[in-house]
Amino acid sequence: MSPSIIIMFVVAAAISVTIALILGNLARQQGLARLKLEEEERRRHEDEEASLLQQNKSLGENVEEVLSQLTDSDKLSRQASQRIVDIFSREVKKHIEDNTKQVAKHYEMILEEKTKDQEIVWKKYNSALVEKKQTDAVIRSVAEGLVVVGPDGKVLMMNPAAEKLLGVSKKEKVGKPINEDLREEQLITLTKKNNETGGKEIEFASESDETKRILRASSAVIENENGETVGMVSVLSDITRQKELERMKTGFVASVSHELRTPLIAIDKSLQLILSKTTGPLSETQEQFLTIAERNLKRLSRLIDDLLDMSKLEAGKMTLNRQPAAMAKIITDSVFAMDNWAKSKSVTIAQNIDEHMPDVNVDADRVTQILNNLIGNAIKFTPAQGTITVSAKTKKPGEIEVSVRDTGIGISAENLVKVFDKFYQVGERVSTDISGTGLGLSIVKELVELHGGKIWVDSEKGQGAIFTFILPV
Amino acid sequence: MGKLISVLLVDDESDYTQPMAFWLKSKGYDVFSVTNGQDAITFIKETPPDIVFLDINMPIMDGPTTLRKIREFNADIPIIIISAYIDDPRAKGITSYGISGVFYKGSDFNEGLTLIEAVLRTHKNLKNK
Repeated sequence: MSPSIIIMFVVAAAISVTIALILGNLARQQGLARLKLEEEERRRHEDEEASLLQQNKSLGENVEEVLSQLTDSDKLSRQASQRIVDIFSREVKKHIEDNTKQVAKHYEMILEEKTKDQEIVWKKYNSALVEKKQTDAVIRSVAEGLVVVGPDGKVLMMNPAAEKLLGVSKKEKVGKPINEDLREEQLITLTKKNNETGGKEIEFASESDETKRILRASSAVIENENGETVGMVSVLSDITRQKELERMKTGFVASVSHELRTPLIAIDKSLQLILSKTTGPLSETQEQFLTIAERNLKRLSRLIDDLLDMSKLEAGKMTLNRQPAAMAKIITDSVFAMDNWAKSKSVTIAQNIDEHMPDVNVDADRVTQILNNLIGNAIKFTPAQGTITVSAKTKKPGEIEVSVRDTGIGISAENLVKVFDKFYQVGERVSTDISGTGLGLSIVKELVELHGGKIWVDSEKGQGAIFTFILPV
Repeated sequence: MGKLISVLLVDDESDYTQPMAFWLKSKGYDVFSVTNGQDAITFIKETPPDIVFLDINMPIMDGPTTLRKIREFNADIPIIIISAYIDDPRAKGITSYGISGVFYKGSDFNEGLTLIEAVLRTHKNLKNK
């Protein structure tokens, strides 16, 4: 019941009580009136006219006025009673009407507000519904498989692509544990969070076409606003074709590099024979141009060797021929081999090698390749009169640290992170002989890591660079 | 003057064996070349050389098969495997048939000469014992 209705009742009740009291009083006053008859008679005549003029006064004043006019005349009493009843009726009616109006107005306001609220809620509901439909459509149409798993390992949802990739139907899987009917490796990928950014690769033979398919699964844990795990979403992509292309590319590079090597060797050996003058004397000019041919042939050979090494490393086919070796000797030999090139550019190579290093179990040819690459790079990027310092020491027991420091052009911070990337080449050069496949440093990195070591670079633009690698003993 | 040391080069890549043969001849060796394993076997049966350079990848009969067949009738002759690739995995697989060394074709001819001398010295010492 609304408060205004309650007020109305209370007012009506109060008025009724007042009327009863007035009527009771009226009877008592009639008795007393007789005693004061003469005085009352006189006063009545005096006030009658005034009372008629005061009809519009307040309820209390009206009642007071009527009572003051009372005489013991029946006619007057009836008139007075009638007047009081009329006044009260009018007042009560007025109050009821006012209240009713107020309540109606209030109710209308409430109704209006409610209608507005409802409209807003309806609009919000509709837009949420549209958004949900859109999201559903997007999830349905993405080429990648999406699987959402709850904290209990049960499938919450999966899109058609996921059904196709996993060879299962949504109806079969939703509400059931993910590991049902899925093989071990898929289970591991889909139920454990992976720390690798690239996701995990899973390989399995699909039931329908008997071919091996490779999926990449990237998973992320879903947390609510309190940081509690509420499930996990996995994105599955079919990378079978991509893997196949990568394999073909690696195979292609390997075979092309092999095929290129044979004719290169034939050219190289023929040139070597002529330049050694075994075939007869050469004029100075002949010797000069044959030397250019030989030098560029060697350069071409190095590029092909790089490509071949990279393809081997990528395919995981690079094997190390580890033998105990003295690092000091490997470094000295490498410096000796590179010294002529450095001297031709007026660059000095200094050595700072701890003589008491233990032997390392490494593939000496590959470590030489690492050093030649780093020293070669240093020579390329160091202007005349610069110095390259090759240092080696025992960093801590079981680890040898080797560094190649130059006084060259240095590497800017933005390029520092890219120097070990495949095919990356620093843009600015100090001379025209800086060229290569851009594979040198990425091969170096792979070779260091293949040995169980690590490599990094520190540099500032214009301040030279220092490449440091650590190899486990 | 004694008999020249004879070298047999077995390689289908004559563009490689020609300069090598020229070089070895200039260093005083008696050099012969064949282009496949079958011809090599025939040659060795008729006039066994002092040392053989054997390529791995050849038409008609490849290096490993040729090596196995040579060892069936001649366990003694020093054979050096030649390959265009450093660390050729196929070279590692055939060491059990008795080879005296592996020579990378890209290496300097002088290294080849050093290898021949070392192999022949070792071979002579073994024979004398």
